[in-house]
Amino acid sequence: MLMENVRRMSGKGGLVRTRKPRITVFHCFTALENTASLEGSDYEIQGIKMPCSSISREGFLLRAFEAGADAVVVLVCPVNSCRYVQGNIRTEKRVSRVKKILDEIGIGGRRLNMYNIVQGDEAAARRIIEQTVAELGEWGLSAAA
Amino acid sequence: MSRGKLEKTLGEGKFAVTAEIGPPRGANAEVIRQKAGLLKGCVDAVNVTDNQTAIVRMSSISACAHVVQMGMEPVMQMVTRDRNRIALQSDIMGAYSLGIRNMLCLSGDHQTFGSQPGAMNVFDIDSVHLIHTVKTMRDEGKDMSGYELNVAPRMFIGAAENPFADPFEYRVIRLAKKVAAGVDFIQTQCVYDMVRFKEWMKQARERGLTEKVYILAGVTPLKSARMAKYMASKVAGIMIPEQMIRRMEGAAKETAAAEGIKICLETIQELREIPGLAGIHIMAIEWEEKVAEIVKDAGLYPRP
Amino acid sequence: MIVGEQKPLEEIKAKVDGYSKILILGCGTCVKTCFAGGEDEVAMLALALRLSLKMEGKSIRVEEQTVERQCEDEFIKEAAANIADVKAVVSLACGAGVQMVASRFPQVSLLPGVNTTFIGILEKAGLFTEKCLGCGNCVVDLFGGICPISRCAKKLFHGPCGGSSKGKCEVNADTDCAWQLIVDHAAATGQLDKLAEYVPPKDWRSSQAGGPRKVHREDHEI
Repeated sequence: MLMENVRRMSGKGGLVRTRKPRITVFHCFTALENTASLEGSDYEIQGIKMPCSSISREGFLLRAFEAGADAVVVLVCPVNSCRYVQGNIRTEKRVSRVKKILDEIGIGGRRLNMYNIVQGDEAAARRIIEQTVAELGEWGLSAAA
Repeated sequence: MSRGKLEKTLGEGKFAVTAEIGPPRGANAEVIRQKAGLLKGCVDAVNVTDNQTAIVRMSSISACAHVVQMGMEPVMQMVTRDRNRIALQSDIMGAYSLGIRNMLCLSGDHQTFGSQPGAMNVFDIDSVHLIHTVKTMRDEGKDMSGYELNVAPRMFIGAAENPFADPFEYRVIRLAKKVAAGVDFIQTQCVYDMVRFKEWMKQARERGLTEKVYILAGVTPLKSARMAKYMASKVAGIMIPEQMIRRMEGAAKETAAAEGIKICLETIQELREIPGLAGIHIMAIEWEEKVAEIVKDAGLYPRP
Repeated sequence: MIVGEQKPLEEIKAKVDGYSKILILGCGTCVKTCFAGGEDEVAMLALALRLSLKMEGKSIRVEEQTVERQCEDEFIKEAAANIADVKAVVSLACGAGVQMVASRFPQVSLLPGVNTTFIGILEKAGLFTEKCLGCGNCVVDLFGGICPISRCAKKLFHGPCGGSSKGKCEVNADTDCAWQLIVDHAAATGQLDKLAEYVPPKDWRSSQAGGPRKVHREDHEI
């Protein structure tokens, strides 16, 4: 299904170079230690580890799209559980801001999302990645990547 | 120097009546003549508004000149929103030369409410400065720079006060400030809440202000329940008691206006009994034809 | 500080239309504090411009640099090399900085990327409010530390006006009526009678109305 989407993106019926969807994952190392457990064969993961999710400044989130991401996932700790108290609140604000910019420039704010996961819950993180891959199957790859 | 009828009436201790008209949004002088004509004989003087609510209209000074030509007496309203001290003093001199004898000093509604909200405002001086300026021009014959004027404009100086705006405890102090600056008469915002108005008058009497300034209470007849509700909720500085709104709501559509006039007459009756009140100022904007009826039914006709 | 807001992306895009390479020059002082033109905002704008144009099948090269302040030569000259390399600079400084860069580097097109608004304070996180109009003759002591020139919509010296309602200004229900604040302060400090005094009209010559101004400190000239 993914290959059909890639052909649709190109607008032509001929042979098109296919590629796997790319997802960049920003995560604080409290929520998730690393992205090794999220790897899969149908997609590419780039993990960006941070001491606090609020390090994910707007510029970095946007840069991820310029660098080739089709979707960006930001994993943070649950509300009221941020070890730096307001880190995840600030992240939420930043993500909101960048979503608006992505909508404005036509990439689509839906490709950027923040999720709260309990510390170390790899299973929840995997589910999020799988859901993202499925969504990309519907939306297609990013035209800016 | 001839005193105007308004000044004379008030000076003789007689209950004065003034009303208000707004100039047209264009150069049609006939509108002024028609509106003022409806008031002839019913009022001691008629206010002419100055780009009220910042909507661009024929100027107050020119409309007042038309009123003078009709043999009636205008009160020129002057806001400090649109003109600096140079233009204001200039127009005061011009107004007096045109036979205008009364003026009302106001700050003016903010231009963002008006028909050209992008305009720059002036507010070089405020209404209290303006009162002080006219008084100096009149009593000392000097302008703001101390220059001796070639014929001093001897204006009867008015200002507005709003007993229904916040902060209430400060309103009478502000009235005192205007009196100290030299104001001769005050017209208040329209009265519906008699309790609050009587309290304000009481405070004014206690400060001795009713001995120093003529206070005219504003009255505006309600046309409909909708008008009452709109004014009560959307217009800053207007208070209408709940039971008055319900009274208007209780009237049938065809009789609502008559009910409004009835309330107005009851208000005037109660106002006439307040010690220290020198008159009323009827603001029936775009309903000028009712003024004559109100004045007559209130027993204030003919004018002395 | 001086407070400003970055111009909408569409407006900046229109300004840079036709240039193949530009420099976005940020400022690390006032506009950084109000999130309009600091280093982070420069990075975001550069990315947004590039991505937006890429989506339209166009491209643009965007250099980024942020200096400490654009209102002083000492810092502006650090950008000289980058400026020499482009035909247009989008400056995210306040109006003062934009004009200084424009005058020091007349060979490039200087495009403002920020709308400078007012002299104000950080009221609380994310909220900046206007406090001073720069009238040139400060008399806030007459009004309990609250300036009626900048904070009263009608610059009243003997307020409030008849439109003050529940402590808010008739122009904007979110804005405190400056005169309510002045009266409250006077009442709380037992100085209401001071407010009954007449304050003469302002001499506006000390303000911008008297013409563009300068402060020349010869004692600091080298």
